[in-house]
Amino acid sequence: MIEVWWSALTFTLGYNTSLVTIGAMLLGAGAGMIGTFVLLRKRSLVSDAISHATLPGLALAFIAAGLVQGDGRWLPGLLMGAAASAALGLWLVQLISARTRLGEDAAIGAVLSTFFSFGVVLITFIQSMNVTGQSGLTDYLVGSTAGMLASEAKLIAVCALGLLAAIFVLRRDFLMVCFDAPFAGTQGVSAWRVDLLMLTLLMAVVVIGLKVTGLILIVALTIIPPVTARFWTNRPLRMVVLAALLGALSAYLGVTLSSINEGLPTGSLIVLAAFGLFMVSFLLSPQRGAFATLLAHQRFRRRVHLRQGLLAVARDEPIFDGLTLRLLQRRGYIRRDGVATPAGHSAARDAEHEERLWALYRRRYPDDALHQEHSGLEPIARVLPPDAITALEALLQPRAGEPT
Amino acid sequence: MSAVGQISDEIAASPLAIHGLTVSYDHRPVVHSVDFVVPPGSMTAIVGPNGAGKSSLLKAVLGITRRLTGDVRVFGQPFSEMTRHVAYVPQRSSVDWDFPATVIDVVIMGLFRDLRWWQITGRRQREQAMDSLARVGMETFADRQIGELSGGQQQRVFLARALTQQAELTILDEPFAGVDAATEKAIVEVLKRLREQGRTLLCVHHDLATVRDYFDHVLLLNVRRIAAGPVESVFTADHLQATYGGRLNQIQLARLVAPATVVSEDI
Repeated sequence: MIEVWWSALTFTLGYNTSLVTIGAMLLGAGAGMIGTFVLLRKRSLVSDAISHATLPGLALAFIAAGLVQGDGRWLPGLLMGAAASAALGLWLVQLISARTRLGEDAAIGAVLSTFFSFGVVLITFIQSMNVTGQSGLTDYLVGSTAGMLASEAKLIAVCALGLLAAIFVLRRDFLMVCFDAPFAGTQGVSAWRVDLLMLTLLMAVVVIGLKVTGLILIVALTIIPPVTARFWTNRPLRMVVLAALLGALSAYLGVTLSSINEGLPTGSLIVLAAFGLFMVSFLLSPQRGAFATLLAHQRFRRRVHLRQGLLAVARDEPIFDGLTLRLLQRRGYIRRDGVATPAGHSAARDAEHEERLWALYRRRYPDDALHQEHSGLEPIARVLPPDAITALEALLQPRAGEPT
Repeated sequence: MSAVGQISDEIAASPLAIHGLTVSYDHRPVVHSVDFVVPPGSMTAIVGPNGAGKSSLLKAVLGITRRLTGDVRVFGQPFSEMTRHVAYVPQRSSVDWDFPATVIDVVIMGLFRDLRWWQITGRRQREQAMDSLARVGMETFADRQIGELSGGQQQRVFLARALTQQAELTILDEPFAGVDAATEKAIVEVLKRLREQGRTLLCVHHDLATVRDYFDHVLLLNVRRIAAGPVESVFTADHLQATYGGRLNQIQLARLVAPATVVSEDI
């Protein structure tokens, strides 16, 4: 079993499997990239509507192909049918949210469930038809790469490559509209047009991914990798690249795992792999991860203790708190008997000066201070620009000699 | 600017000439038939009470909201052909500051329109952006996450993004709203320096007390144009009364119209 997986991981399980793996990885990369932009545009839910809206088109295309050639399984036709009904669903969502008082979320809910129900009715009907390949249709719900034809894998890979190229060309327009759509408008980048392109590419990902992850799970591939990427970076285009890598990695793990046993659903394994990467990031990310947050809280607590201790030294007040004493001692600010060292006196003076600047800043600009993401413990020069500090220092100057 | 008429010299020379501009939301005009010609090289304030259509006027000029009727020209040409000559500083609240971007990322967005799709943003763009950041006193903040900035710093970043575009006309929507005094001073300095270089500035402004200090021209707006022209001749008690109605009392009016006096601030 492990040997099979190893062969799959190293692309030595045969031409077909390797082709499928590469196709799925390209798809995962595309889904991660477009998913990032859609997430930053705050429209992740739209991909849910698109994917569920593919089902009736898929079923109708199957029926049409079945009537013509006796076998409904013709991938290009199925994908075109899926795309057509997804486009119709998307158009309805836009129409409902633009022309009625319903919000986009309500419109998505209505369209998603209606289209999916219609698709289920059609699939039930297909089961009673006299065509071959009916059972293959359920592969499009949860995805299956077992027994995928080389031609199908090639089609998926080529489409995914085209998608990546399109996203690369449009990256800056997408970014501008995601951050500041009105500004983009003044730059000759119409938000309306960019949104349309973004949703078209999202639709393309969903349709191409139908066979690999299935229509229910493709949403996960457009949401989880971008959210995971957000744990590791604060920069927009890096987030896009990272989401692409994470999507490709998830697809790679999912497809190869599913080769262990023919019965394992590929889509579910890809999503589970993506979730595994998410959990690792959630726990271990150095900036936003759970452990990092915990550590940051501890650090913050120590900083508060240290600042309070130094202020007490500056004001010649006694210190009782055990942690405060330990922290001051460890840094050589006080001796074992609690008497401040020269270094301690100097640090205490600095702390008091900082404290005065902060207090002055809070008094002069209460609104501004309220909206700042600072604790008042970091050096004020890290928070305010140099000219603002100079202004504060100037205000502090005449009083420096006075007792506080 | 009429359909058959010639474009006058004044309009051809103006970085922004508006004629008959009307904006309405659901059959309620928020800006009604406004004519206004921005003098070249001026620093012009658009002043009026809340709901007077100041921001709507700007947004309609920039094509962000649709206008019902009206003509907008930049140096005599239709606005849509002249967007490169206009830079825009939106209100701070118009974007989500939790967006994953650093200060320099936002400023470089001002240079995107000069980049073709195959080009990568590189050292040249970074240097240009750093230059703009230095002009607003924010060069040490280049790699800071935008979510960590204060209101005044956010405003400086938006101004820096506009500066990268080196536009003839810069349009600002309430640049002094909710910023600290140091930032207000820094922004005014930058704007005055732009005017010295012959650039034109148009600014929605909400603080009547500073109109005389900062601006040389003013448009008083309350849905309709009340008055427009040089501050000394237009910023009068009568015009302000007409713009604000009963919202200003006589004492406030007298103080606003009197020549500006420097009040020393006490801490």
